[in-house]
Amino acid sequence: MSKPAGAASPRAANVEVRGLVRRFGSITAVDGVDLDVAEGEVFGFLGPNGAGKSTMVRMLVTLLRPSAGAARVAGYDVVKEAAKVRRVIGVALQDAALDPLMTGRELLRLQATLHGIPRGHVEARGGELLERVGLTAAADRRVGTYSGGMRRRLDLAMALIHEPAVLFLDEPTTGLDPMSRISLWEEVRRLNIDHGTTVFLTTQYLEEADELAQRVAIIDRGRIVREGPPAELKAQVGEPTLQVVVPEGDLERAAEVLRHFGEPAPARPDSLAVHLAGGAAGLAAVVRALDERGVQPVSMELTAPSLDDVFVEATGRRLEGAQADPAVPAP
Amino acid sequence: MSAGGVVSLSRRSISNTLRQPQMWVPSMAFPLIFTALNTGAMGRATRLPGFPAESFLDFAVATAVVQGVLFGATAGGSDMAVDIQDGFFDRLVSSPVSRPTIVLARLAGAAVLGAVQSLVFMAILTAFGAQVRGGAPAVLTIVAVAMLLAMAIGGLSVAIALKTGSSEVVQAAFPVFFISLFTSSAFFPRELMSGWFKTVASVNPLSFMIESVRALIIGGFHVGDAMRALAIVAALAGVSLLLSLRALRSRLAAG
Ligand SMILES: Nc1ncnc2c1ncn2[C@@H]1O[C@H](COP(=O)(O)OP(=O)(O)O)[C@@H](O)[C@H]1O
Ligand SMILES: [Mg+2]
Repeated sequence: MSKPAGAASPRAANVEVRGLVRRFGSITAVDGVDLDVAEGEVFGFLGPNGAGKSTMVRMLVTLLRPSAGAARVAGYDVVKEAAKVRRVIGVALQDAALDPLMTGRELLRLQATLHGIPRGHVEARGGELLERVGLTAAADRRVGTYSGGMRRRLDLAMALIHEPAVLFLDEPTTGLDPMSRISLWEEVRRLNIDHGTTVFLTTQYLEEADELAQRVAIIDRGRIVREGPPAELKAQVGEPTLQVVVPEGDLERAAEVLRHFGEPAPARPDSLAVHLAGGAAGLAAVVRALDERGVQPVSMELTAPSLDDVFVEATGRRLEGAQADPAVPAP
Repeated sequence: MSAGGVVSLSRRSISNTLRQPQMWVPSMAFPLIFTALNTGAMGRATRLPGFPAESFLDFAVATAVVQGVLFGATAGGSDMAVDIQDGFFDRLVSSPVSRPTIVLARLAGAAVLGAVQSLVFMAILTAFGAQVRGGAPAVLTIVAVAMLLAMAIGGLSVAIALKTGSSEVVQAAFPVFFISLFTSSAFFPRELMSGWFKTVASVNPLSFMIESVRALIIGGFHVGDAMRALAIVAALAGVSLLLSLRALRSRLAAG
């Protein structure tokens, strides 16, 4: 396919956000966000439920007006040039709103017309996308009969109908089984590599951000608390964590030994953990020191810092199961 | 505004109504059942002095068409509310299609269904012996009236959908349309009414529209009757269109 219908002169397919705020009554869902997504990048927007991810996406795709601040998508202002923004973006919102009474093919056809794709190209383009997301066999069934994974894939295909320069995916894999999740990841990666599509993806899943995103921003209670490539963020948290399980009688002696190798880390009751100051290289020394004091570890496990550790370090809470703000009632 | 957008969205609106039999079967069946019952029960009413038609069935054609359209055209509003609840509306709004297109396509869909419905009613009732004395010009006028009426009712229900975003509220508004029909001369000639009922029917614009349509069926085609019927529904459709576009603007501004 050539350039999307009605696309303006070539410009960077990037996202720039400056001081963006969105309030709902007394709730500040997005609280002064600055960020930049470069052209051709997969950007992960990671945060717990209620952190403000969807609100952010809805402002960027022109569905919500910012209370303050500004954002540009592909160089167009999301408020003043909203119509132009809509022409260059692909959008798959959190709930994959699809009409259950229509078939997959009909929905793609409709979406193509809404994007002004010339009539002669509509069928071919729809067929190509159905093939790509593996829905050819189900194309003429009503969407009401589709599984969750099929719905997401159709939603993605619809978002891609006009070859958008910037693709927004709001929690594209929430509620999917692991297989469907992986196939969606592959599609996003392929899009990014083969077509150079810029992808802005929100997720509550650490592995997803880790797996897909070249850069992530961690959002919590409407604010960006960390931003950068996953590897760099993890390195900033610092040392790997060593978990040691020891017989109950040895707990105290073992703790004394481990104290010399780094800061203690939270651990289960029957075990000890330490942020290993010398990195993985220090492991041999720990084993020797424990042996010298006659401590026989039941097991030892060295884990590199995860994005979860990054989240914990930034917010003091774990991401899995974290709620943004217990004081805020569920919508 | 893109023509392609209006056409595809109206097509969706029509086919979605047809794919939900509960959306159109009652509006086809009830007016016909009503007509059958009334023709049986009230056949002798035609002998009352002042009754405008010789056959009750002729009298009932206009009633059936208006009742059916009134019943059916709220489907557009319910479907719009469902779109809002499901987030499909957001999909449309985040696409490059112009926003008024989203509303206009619903009304166009309602108009097409209204046209088909009026033709089907006239065909069935004619088969049972009703006569449209105004001939083809009357039939065309009645189809146009049905289309405009469908847009008027569809537009109001779309406006309610956009204002509230709730299909329950749209459905709750339904009895209001029906009361407005029952308090008109749809079911009984004004000449034979009395008291407050006659007063209400005499200020209800639906009465004048129905009487004009009925005149085309019973008395033959007169330009004056056709114009009066069209003018009344066109005015209603215009008001309704304005209300729905205003509701659209305020929903989008709230975003
Ligand atoms: N339309 C709305 N009206 C009121 N509050 C809202 C609305 N949308 C979101 N919120 C609130 O804003 C906060 C962020 O929500 P959201 O952006 O949906 O978070 P996330 O997508 O990260 O789960 C939550 O506290 C939510 O309750
Ligand atoms: Mg969300």
